[in-house]
Amino acid sequence: MRLANISKSFGATRAVDDVSLELHAGEIVGLVGENGAGKTTLMRIVAGELEPDRGTVLAPAPIGFVHQHFVLVNAFTIAENLALVGATASEIELPDESRLVADLSIGEKAKLELMKAISRKPSLLILDEPTSVLTPAEAAELFAVMRRLAANGTIVVFISHKIPEVLEVATRVVVMRGGKIVAEGGTAEEIVREASGVRRPRRRSDSAGMAGAPRITAIVGVAGNGQAELAAKLRREAKGVVAAIPEDRTRDGLIAEMTIAENLALRTSVPAEQLIANYNIKASGPNQKAGSLSGGNQQKVLLARELSINPNVIVASEPTRGLDAEATRFVHDRLRDAAARGAEVYLITSDLDEAFTLGDTIQVIYRGRLSQPLSPEEAAEQAPRLMAGL
Amino acid sequence: MILLAITAATPLLLAVLGETIVQRSGIINLGIEAMMLTAAMTAVLFAQGSHSAAIGVLGGIAGAAAAGALFGFFAIELHADQIVTGVAANLLALGATGFVYREMEQSAVFVRAVPRLRVDVIVPLAWIVLPIALALVLWRTMFGLRLRACGENPEAVERVRLYRWSALGIESVLTGIAGAHLALMLSSGFAENMVAGRGFIALSIVIFGRWKFKGAILGTALFGIAAAAQYALQAMNRGIEFHLLLALPYVATLLILCGIAGRVRAPEALGR
Amino acid sequence: MTRAIVAVAAALALVALAGWLFGHSPIDLLTILLGGSLDETILKAIPLLLTGLTIAVAFRAGVWNIGGEGQFIAGALAAFVAARFGLAAALAASVIAGAAWASIASLLRWWRNAPEVLTTILLNFIAINVLGWCVNGPLQESSARYPQTDAVSIALPQIGDVHAGVVLAAAVAVVAWWLLYHTREGLRLRATGFNPAAAKFAGVNVEAQIFRAMAVSGGCAGLAGGIELLGVTHRLFERFAAGYGYSGIAVALLAQLHPLGTVVSAFFFGALATGAGELQRSANISATVATLIQAVVIFTMILFGRRERA
Repeated sequence: MRLANISKSFGATRAVDDVSLELHAGEIVGLVGENGAGKTTLMRIVAGELEPDRGTVLAPAPIGFVHQHFVLVNAFTIAENLALVGATASEIELPDESRLVADLSIGEKAKLELMKAISRKPSLLILDEPTSVLTPAEAAELFAVMRRLAANGTIVVFISHKIPEVLEVATRVVVMRGGKIVAEGGTAEEIVREASGVRRPRRRSDSAGMAGAPRITAIVGVAGNGQAELAAKLRREAKGVVAAIPEDRTRDGLIAEMTIAENLALRTSVPAEQLIANYNIKASGPNQKAGSLSGGNQQKVLLARELSINPNVIVASEPTRGLDAEATRFVHDRLRDAAARGAEVYLITSDLDEAFTLGDTIQVIYRGRLSQPLSPEEAAEQAPRLMAGL
Repeated sequence: MILLAITAATPLLLAVLGETIVQRSGIINLGIEAMMLTAAMTAVLFAQGSHSAAIGVLGGIAGAAAAGALFGFFAIELHADQIVTGVAANLLALGATGFVYREMEQSAVFVRAVPRLRVDVIVPLAWIVLPIALALVLWRTMFGLRLRACGENPEAVERVRLYRWSALGIESVLTGIAGAHLALMLSSGFAENMVAGRGFIALSIVIFGRWKFKGAILGTALFGIAAAAQYALQAMNRGIEFHLLLALPYVATLLILCGIAGRVRAPEALGR
Repeated sequence: MTRAIVAVAAALALVALAGWLFGHSPIDLLTILLGGSLDETILKAIPLLLTGLTIAVAFRAGVWNIGGEGQFIAGALAAFVAARFGLAAALAASVIAGAAWASIASLLRWWRNAPEVLTTILLNFIAINVLGWCVNGPLQESSARYPQTDAVSIALPQIGDVHAGVVLAAAVAVVAWWLLYHTREGLRLRATGFNPAAAKFAGVNVEAQIFRAMAVSGGCAGLAGGIELLGVTHRLFERFAAGYGYSGIAVALLAQLHPLGTVVSAFFFGALATGAGELQRSANISATVATLIQAVVIFTMILFGRRERA
């Protein structure tokens, strides 16, 4: 499979940025990177589900794609789901194919998806985060299948952000960040650093880190380790006025069809004009539809809404994802101001740099569990290792 | 008496069978009323024009197909809201057929007696032949499997539109026959708004029957018998409580929607 | 606004064409259709305004309330029964009854995930049959000759040749507009309709908004029924609702779900209904042309904006 200079944008966001890649039969390629790095988009282009804006794709046929979100019919049996795609007997099996998919465990559903994908004897098999729902035993089984397929000449691409597993089974590791391929191979720590964009840990000046003063707690981790649940828990258990910046901006963020003023008025009584001025939001006026703003400005509106209610607690998830440098700095400044005014700020991010910049305390989240609180200096040493689960 | 009730409920059953298939493919078609009403009128027009009831039935199918095509264009192709489209289709059929009827009221088409089938083959067709045939198609063929998958998880199927249009096509044939039966066999021609809500009743029975054909037959039979009993009671001048009796099917359906009388599971992707 | 005008023009053009095909003069047809008496137009517009608001408020919150017919009947029944306690009581009862009838559907939706599309329609049929039972049984007129009730003892005061319901309905429309667009709760309701997930994140209690929307929606339809009873028909009979609930859909869509627009839209459809009646009387063209026009208007509006809902 050969990709040459593939680029793809969704609106203003550059999802894949001039990617070239060559894969050969028998390889098991681990494609690694954080959320939004472009891995899934790239593979969807390979599989023909998306058209690239630029570049050429040379891919073998047929292609099997096991998606992250199952495409199964819950009301049908295993056999019927297989029949739906014309799958005949395959080398992996599930017992009792007359069971309804709705009654299967998640691991069995994943296996069924795999069966569907390999039933067509694919020359290229793409697996998108296949182990996120598997037990270690099931994952091992999957890796055995992957090795068998690769031995028979199939190209296997394995998208994941579970670095140890990738290292276990992949013959080659490709790291993506911000739509580009940034590295290949390396140790676990190096991979994590490349994926999250840290060149070297930055030293912070101790200007605001006095003991006892209100703190910014940065919770850092590779995406998919329980951040959403943690955010929800923090929001639920917080006392007083809670402000939240959601991780999924399009689903939970601003309401695109309503104006800036309306979105603001949902929570705050501060006049829209004032907030637009204070937060330097580039808009034609308070009556502009929120959906027509750029990502950075939307985030500013969100921030303005949440911070202007004088919250006691702020839970900010990936607040600067997709923002340019200026907007990022802006958000950071505002969060610091809020903390200085006495709010408890929780910053959940996968960007180590950001964690170092803002966090008075840093904790690493891995598989839903938090590490000990670390000072920035300690974190500089230990975080990459902890994030990789080592 | 039961036989009479069954015969009278035949158009209803055909509508229920058709709507069951369509809903199994993931579409809510509130416009069954429109399809039946249009079919009733076109059946009469074709039958009178050709002096043949059989042609009339074909005409009914054509009329239902026209209404179905309109609905399908908006609901399947344009992804318009299925509820609003269905209601609009009903209004359109009501208005159009009423208008045409008035205009041609005096003409021979609506004054002369309509040709009838010598033997009412539609009744056994609807109650025996079609349910068996359709059940075989829906549950024993690849086509049926994919059609049902459209109603559960359309993402798992390629060419969803094809299956949904096919379902709509089958429904058009069934409701076409229903409208023809209503106008040519049960009544003696067309009358304004003669479908009188059977379409919505059919919707309830689809749910009552849990989107299966056996349930469709049972539900329609029960409803038909209850309706016939109403007339019998009315004749005996015990006319009060039957209004509440008429409300029972709807209350029962409400309860079923709540999962009270057993688990009810609609096709997962219904309306999407 | 342009969409609405095009929709109306298209509908009228279609009807004129149909009339011409059958030998009528399109000009005459349109003149009669649009030239009905003002009083009758207003009388017909009043319930349409309220049932239009029924649809508009519910759609704005993202829920389907197709139960206007049933809520209309519930309101009228309640007004009839409460009439002995005076006009204010009767009107209040009609609002409460309509809201309650609609709330059955929202309760079933919340409690058992029963789709409100279907439950509201089923409740329509139940209400129609309850009405049938009432006018044939317990509430039947003393002479027991027809399936209808006695005349109700009170009535809405007259303003010229129309009844005071016109003031009430217009007031409701203005209040609805104010609440939807100038209060925070109205904002929250609209947010719920646009994007429930984002609204929830912003602290809106989505379920409560939906309940409230359905109740207000039903209350409007109930009021329409009460007003129709106390101002126009003065007695209940079978087929009392006569499609007002469903006509509300066309009214609301033409107004693009805006409460003030509903006033104009209802006036237009009221004029249509009046004209259609006249058309039937004088030119023997079926009054169902009004329904035809409703349908074409809805289809045209759908054509213009696929996600027309809220």
